[in-house]
Amino acid sequence: MADIVTDAAITAALGRQMTRAVQRQAVAAGNLANLDTPGYRAKELQFSDALDSQLDGNVSLTATDPHHFGTAAGAPATAETVDAQGLAPRRDGNTVQLDRELLNMGQAALDFSAAQTVLAAKFQLVRYAINEGR
Amino acid sequence: MATLLGAINASASALDAQRARMEVAVSNMANAESTRGPDGEPYRRREVVLQSTSTGGAFDNSVQANGVEVAAVVQDQSAFRRVYEPSHPDADADGFVSMPNVDVPEEMVDMLGAARAYQANLTAIGLIRDTLQKALDLAK
Repeated sequence: MADIVTDAAITAALGRQMTRAVQRQAVAAGNLANLDTPGYRAKELQFSDALDSQLDGNVSLTATDPHHFGTAAGAPATAETVDAQGLAPRRDGNTVQLDRELLNMGQAALDFSAAQTVLAAKFQLVRYAINEGR
Repeated sequence: MATLLGAINASASALDAQRARMEVAVSNMANAESTRGPDGEPYRRREVVLQSTSTGGAFDNSVQANGVEVAAVVQDQSAFRRVYEPSHPDADADGFVSMPNVDVPEEMVDMLGAARAYQANLTAIGLIRDTLQKALDLAK
């Protein structure tokens, strides 16, 4: 039983990582789209809140108590965007930086890729079990 | 998944907007010497006004990618260039011709900026497509 809970927890954690990577990529895409929009402020995910919501009573993935069942999935990863601070605005008031956004996108893509690889391996194991080792 | 598609939509809207910017810059350069328009006036330089939009899905309150759209194409109201050319058919009594208020180097710089932004958004679409493909690979 404990093993199943751990499996679900790992899958949920990987799912959250992928969701977050997608959100980061979406925000960066929005910023890039507004590269030349006067007065546009670059947005970023509110990281600390997202971290809090993910760590909330759920620091460890191992279930040490039967009552922990279900908490493993954690709260849905809700996130908000805020205006990125500390960026020098250009003359038109725009704060989007091309390199910063492309870097964010690349990092998010790598993050997603990593989680996907692990998740695929996890699924392969489950499939192996379903097929009775064939 | 919705956010990935929203992100692609946002990038696509930027491709559209940058293409419009490029078209306007090209038409400005093409008409840098047009002393006569449909209204009888010399050509006035045109400029694209970009405006941020929200292209995310209306049904989820998750993080959205903001797209961009062409809000308007406005005419530059600055003064025409005055060139002394008495033999020109559009010359006034003093022999001066009003030339369009187009500055060719400025248009070139604008085109470069549009091309770079276009390229950046194409790269973004490529990265998002890779992520989408990775997600689909999970079903293999």
